[in-house]
Amino acid sequence: MDEQELVRQIQQGDEMAFAEIVRIYKNRIVNFLWKITGDYQKAVELSQETFMRVYFKAHRYRPIASFSSWIYTIASNLAKTEMKKLRKFTVVSLDDVQNVIPVEASADNPGDSGLIKSLRNALNSLHPRYRIPVILKDIEGFSQEEIAEMLKRPIGTIKARISRGREYLRKELEKASSEGNTFALKEEH
Amino acid sequence: MDELSLLKKLDRVKAPPDFEQRVLAQLSLRKRKRVRARTLSLSLAGAFSTVLVLFIVISVFILPEKSPVGIADVEKEILSPAFKTEEMPRPSPTIPIIEAVDYGKEVRSLSKEPRTIYLLEQVSDEVSSTTKY
Repeated sequence: MDEQELVRQIQQGDEMAFAEIVRIYKNRIVNFLWKITGDYQKAVELSQETFMRVYFKAHRYRPIASFSSWIYTIASNLAKTEMKKLRKFTVVSLDDVQNVIPVEASADNPGDSGLIKSLRNALNSLHPRYRIPVILKDIEGFSQEEIAEMLKRPIGTIKARISRGREYLRKELEKASSEGNTFALKEEH
Repeated sequence: MDELSLLKKLDRVKAPPDFEQRVLAQLSLRKRKRVRARTLSLSLAGAFSTVLVLFIVISVFILPEKSPVGIADVEKEILSPAFKTEEMPRPSPTIPIIEAVDYGKEVRSLSKEPRTIYLLEQVSDEVSSTTKY
């Protein structure tokens, strides 16, 4: 069924349509929130809250933007509020919790190479102000215009934050590579 | 290999297996809470309105009306030592009469008591002075 049709049914209180939306988006939202917070349990809690808000505030959705960007907007706002509450960057060693987190199996996954680990740590240490736009752009695949709309910031600000976030990650990877890993960096135009 | 392509290769996590059930259970709970909250606010609003209506009814229809002030009482007050001071002006020929009766009501409303007749009589000693009412 078309997403817009599902949303219309949710606006009329249809729980079956809502369950379908949860089924479609649950993994993406949990993964997105996990990348921002670094805490799997917190990501699951925030995801549940995201879907609660989707149901009770469905009447506010206007089909000007895509439904996925609307859900991600709600999730981003919840994540930002949570990070402000914590007032710190949580750097979590994923190796400690790897056994209890259901990780998606992927044929493209090169395995837990040192570079990937360094990148993961670098992303966790990046300030949420830059981390969220970078994740939305480079992992979730939204456009800069969509991200600007979601985060309610000018597009220039979003471009600058994405650029700075990438620059930070690049420097962290360079640092990691100088400690043993070797890779070639390509500038993105 | 640049960091952008590496970002896409980062581990992805999945929602727990019972995630949908948890969300739907939470949804039912919140719906029940909302209904309870709405019922409570409507009950409070209804109770407040009832109290307000009762208050209006009691103050307008049930509480006793003020009785008119007797002329004798006013006279007593004027002649009492506490009322008199050195700066008190000479009593004017006009005698103030304080009447706290709403004539409009007296005339319009039907009273169970026999008809009240008001006699206005001159109380001034000076016959030639004009009595103002």
